[in-house]
Amino acid sequence: MAADSDPESEVFEITDFTTASEWERFVSRVEEVLNEWKLIGLSAGSVNPEKGEYTSGTWGEKCLDINFADFKFYITHYFLKQECEKDNGKDKLEEDSFPLAMQDLLCMNNDFPPRAHCLVRWYGIREFVVITPGTNCEAIISESKCNLLHSSVSIALANSGCQVPMFVQIQQKWRRVYAGECQGPGVRTDFEMVHLRKVPSQYNHLSGLLDVFKAKIGCNLSPLPPINIAIRFTYILQDWQQHAWPQQPPDFDTLLGGEVGGVEFGKLPFGACEEPIRELHLATTWPHLAEGIVVDNDVYSDLDPLQAPHWSVRVRTADNPQCLLGDFLTEFFKLCGRKESTEEVLGRGMPEEEGKENSDISSALSKLTEPAAAVPISKLSVSNIVHSARKHIRRHRHTDESPLKTDVLNSVLLYLFPDAAVEKSSESSRNRSAPTITSGIAEQEKGPDSNLYQHLKSAPSDSLTYRLALCVCLVNYTYGGLRAVAHLWQEFVLELRYRWENNYLVYGLAAGPPDLRCCLLHQKLQMLNCCIERKRARDEARKVLEGNRGRERKVSGGGPSDRPTAEAAAGSTREVSPGKSWDSWSDSEDEFFECLSDQGEGEAAHAEGDKEGSKVKAEGRLHPQGNMTLLNSTEPLYIPVTQEPAPMTEDLLEEQSDVLAKLGTSAEGTHLRARMQSACLLSDMESFKAANPGCALDDFVRWYSPRDYVEEEVEDEKGNMVLKGMMSSRMMIPGNMWVEAWESARVTPARRQRRLFDDTKEAEKVLHYLAVQKPADVTQNLLPCILHAAILKLKEEESVEDIPSVKKSIQQAISQASKLLHTLSHDYKKLEDFISQLMALETAITQARSLKAKFATCEGGTAEDTEELEKFVSSLLEDPEVVVLGAGQGPAGSIIHRLFINSQRAALLSPMEDEFGLEKKPGGGSNKVPDFPPPAGREILLRTCVPRPAPYSKALPQRLFCVLMKEEFRLAGAFSSDTTFF
Amino acid sequence: MDLYGKMAATQDAKGKGEGGDQNFDYMFKLLIIGNSSVGKTSFLFRYADDAFTSAFVSTVGIDFKVKTVYKNDKRIKLQIWDTAGQERYRTITTAYYRGAMGFILMYDITNEESFGAVQDWSTQIKTYSWDNAQVVLAGNKCDMEEERVVSVDNGRLLAEQLGFEFFETSAKDNVNVKQTFERLVDLICDKMSDSLDSDPAVTTGAPTAKLTDSAPPLQQSGCNC
Repeated sequence: MAADSDPESEVFEITDFTTASEWERFVSRVEEVLNEWKLIGLSAGSVNPEKGEYTSGTWGEKCLDINFADFKFYITHYFLKQECEKDNGKDKLEEDSFPLAMQDLLCMNNDFPPRAHCLVRWYGIREFVVITPGTNCEAIISESKCNLLHSSVSIALANSGCQVPMFVQIQQKWRRVYAGECQGPGVRTDFEMVHLRKVPSQYNHLSGLLDVFKAKIGCNLSPLPPINIAIRFTYILQDWQQHAWPQQPPDFDTLLGGEVGGVEFGKLPFGACEEPIRELHLATTWPHLAEGIVVDNDVYSDLDPLQAPHWSVRVRTADNPQCLLGDFLTEFFKLCGRKESTEEVLGRGMPEEEGKENSDISSALSKLTEPAAAVPISKLSVSNIVHSARKHIRRHRHTDESPLKTDVLNSVLLYLFPDAAVEKSSESSRNRSAPTITSGIAEQEKGPDSNLYQHLKSAPSDSLTYRLALCVCLVNYTYGGLRAVAHLWQEFVLELRYRWENNYLVYGLAAGPPDLRCCLLHQKLQMLNCCIERKRARDEARKVLEGNRGRERKVSGGGPSDRPTAEAAAGSTREVSPGKSWDSWSDSEDEFFECLSDQGEGEAAHAEGDKEGSKVKAEGRLHPQGNMTLLNSTEPLYIPVTQEPAPMTEDLLEEQSDVLAKLGTSAEGTHLRARMQSACLLSDMESFKAANPGCALDDFVRWYSPRDYVEEEVEDEKGNMVLKGMMSSRMMIPGNMWVEAWESARVTPARRQRRLFDDTKEAEKVLHYLAVQKPADVTQNLLPCILHAAILKLKEEESVEDIPSVKKSIQQAISQASKLLHTLSHDYKKLEDFISQLMALETAITQARSLKAKFATCEGGTAEDTEELEKFVSSLLEDPEVVVLGAGQGPAGSIIHRLFINSQRAALLSPMEDEFGLEKKPGGGSNKVPDFPPPAGREILLRTCVPRPAPYSKALPQRLFCVLMKEEFRLAGAFSSDTTFF
Repeated sequence: MDLYGKMAATQDAKGKGEGGDQNFDYMFKLLIIGNSSVGKTSFLFRYADDAFTSAFVSTVGIDFKVKTVYKNDKRIKLQIWDTAGQERYRTITTAYYRGAMGFILMYDITNEESFGAVQDWSTQIKTYSWDNAQVVLAGNKCDMEEERVVSVDNGRLLAEQLGFEFFETSAKDNVNVKQTFERLVDLICDKMSDSLDSDPAVTTGAPTAKLTDSAPPLQQSGCNC
């Protein structure tokens, strides 16, 4: 008081001389921590925790560092998070009540919690503080140190009035030996522990342990208050004799043997190569026994697991079992990181090998001319390419040294290009009809997964790209990794070139322009198909013309017959100018949309025109536009045949929009942009002029941009209302783009115009792009497809097993993948994590599958049993421990029983006897082989409430938890005593 | 989303060279679509240059303008692409849909046909654009009240049905032009932060990376000043 009123005393630092030694400082630090955590005073909490609350509730944990001199300890507070008491006041009334921990010692609601701190299991307490040596500090082993630590705790608890039990960890850490104490008003509980390597024979049974307990209590009341006994035996099943895993790994050799050849290439493998469930732990519990009810001594035991009233099971899964799908994905993903180019991987081996067939000189020549990744494609002569491609189609290669064996390669290519089989059989008929591609229609029928490719930016699951991804994945895993992939890719590109050169459409791609929702590789392939299609159309038109010429020639008696073919050859071999398709608007090079079409016809028209004066014959009409007529004549207005705009892949598009954006936002920029994009307008105008001789811009506008032609009723000179039309004011602006274009537009039908889309150039660009892809580029490009395939596979497998948690995870995986794959540059670290997620899903499914196989109902089982078993299996996967309904007598129980019997028999008897035994003795005790192996662990929990230390003391909770295992014997005792008079 | 990031980056690098508008934190690519002569180009000119001319040349293909706006102290560069409305240009313009974060779908309140085509345009957006592109429906030329054939209510009703925001606008009288763009920018920002919040995977993913990617230029500008 005096100090408080004295202002000066606050100024000086107060030296507390009571904390002079390290030990005292340590104790006071412990008290401080207890204060800080507000653990002093009465511990609040519900009187008894609910049944199973230790498992279902959440546990909290707080940790601090604390030093004893320079020795570091951790002090940790563990507590069950309970909802705040509403009836706090009621508890407070009983001032003298025991600390909660003491009550917990006797509570039977949470015996043997499946997942808890060991102290919780041994002592049943819901809240406690532990002091453990720091991570790198040595254990407290010497007795004096142990005592010192223990007494520190004791002092701290007494000083602070903390009622939470406090432990110190002593001995080597792995031994998990703790000593502790709990103090309450006039009561104290000591937590003691014995830990041995071997179970002493006199304590190897219940009766021996009861003796220990009684002796320790030292109660001389008679009769002794009843001792409550809870027992739990745990049996481990490791041997799954009758359910032989592993699942058959797919037999890769037979994949190719079958008639259908590559059909199996379309599938990803699935499943674990080893048993994904390692062990099954059966815990048989007798939760509530009284002394004398059961006999368990060194010669006899009543504790038959089959008779235990309570069974529960947990499974231990194998850590990262090898799973096929996961392996495939991982190996595929590894390729993405490889740096080697195709050429580096395959070396010069390929062309050399071909050279072997020929003599020295020709081999040298063929080295120069054979296509290899090293030779720029544009330098190859057409004939050679076709020749080689043909040869390769027949696949008569020497492939001793090639990474992929001929038969494997053939099957893969046949799977990728199934139409080639048709062609092989009738190679003479080169005019195959275009493959019908139904993916567009099929898409809508296939349900929710059909547009998954749009989310993942992969490719439709029936497309060539998707199938290629599967093949690359398989070839990589099974047929030689990087080299095989490089080889396959080289062959794939050769095949594409062959198709381009020979006008065969690439099979298995949706028609039309590249689908920008798919991956770039898919777009490129679609682009190639667009080119092939255009080229085919041109060639066909030429053929028709040739036919006509032929007939003409017969009449006129010969002419320059080789001209068209020469020109055609020139057309396809001409050097590719590497540039943007974009600048073709200013390109003066003449390449016609449908060049060389009816020239004769044109001449004839001219002749006709001469006769009839100025009237020119119309060309390239598609159909009349309704009953519209030209403004200056009575001729109907015809819609012309027009050129299709150029298809674009996303990289081209980006390139183009970059070019447009570079022009800036000024008026000139805008004008230039319009000029650059006017090629299509100009071409349409020329076609229109050709189809509608004598037409005006007004006519064109009426078709092309009808809203720019305004019609209104006007009064003419005579006073009649007449419909008068004119172009909108914006079309009348002098010198505007439209007028300008119209004036410069010649009268040319689309087929004689310069091509808007240079298919030759674009095809070469695509083929070049493909040819220079490294194996890693290929896999990166195909990664979305393979993830797509993996997700579909997981979905398919899950739907068989129906596991709600996995189903949910797959949905999450899809949305995550969609985010990962929609970016232009993939984040490979994240993708790797994503792949491990998919692998975890695969493992989960295989675990479910394995458990289902083990707990399959037998033929005679009722529907209820089946349902119960299904529930049982699904909770096995999700809960740490599952109660077996009906214990040993329930449907699951009897299966478990049988599993143990079989495993026992397999271990101890010959297989012949096994079968007989199974039939004769279901669960008989008199069998010479016991049904169950000796328990792997026995836990015996003894509890009572007796006065201690003197007969007139308060009756207080006493508890002994015994653990008996093969190599461990532990007695964890909590003995309370009345401290009032002692 | 990353497309914008990438485009933003390229634009940024270019901007430095020209000494132009290189300073921005985000770049949004927007697209104005709708039937021909509903006033798309005028609308964009009003917004970007605050000018109006009764007759712009009919757009050939695709054109663009740039405008920088500020939102929460962030500079957002809008690259607004103006498209040709004629049927013939559909295939050319739809190719650009995929990179757009927002659309202004425009019709002309004095032209029934352009209003009737809104449904079609909306389908086109759904088919060709990203999943979470935002759309605002704009009924333009609301200054021409006497020639109106599409009522405000009909416009609003359709917008509701399609799940779009709605404005009646006039490029000529400068009505709701700025508001339309600002609303669209807000919608895009909301969507971006939504996907950041809702999904932890995204928080560490591309958008954040993009944010940091484009942050440096801003700092540099500070130094330059």
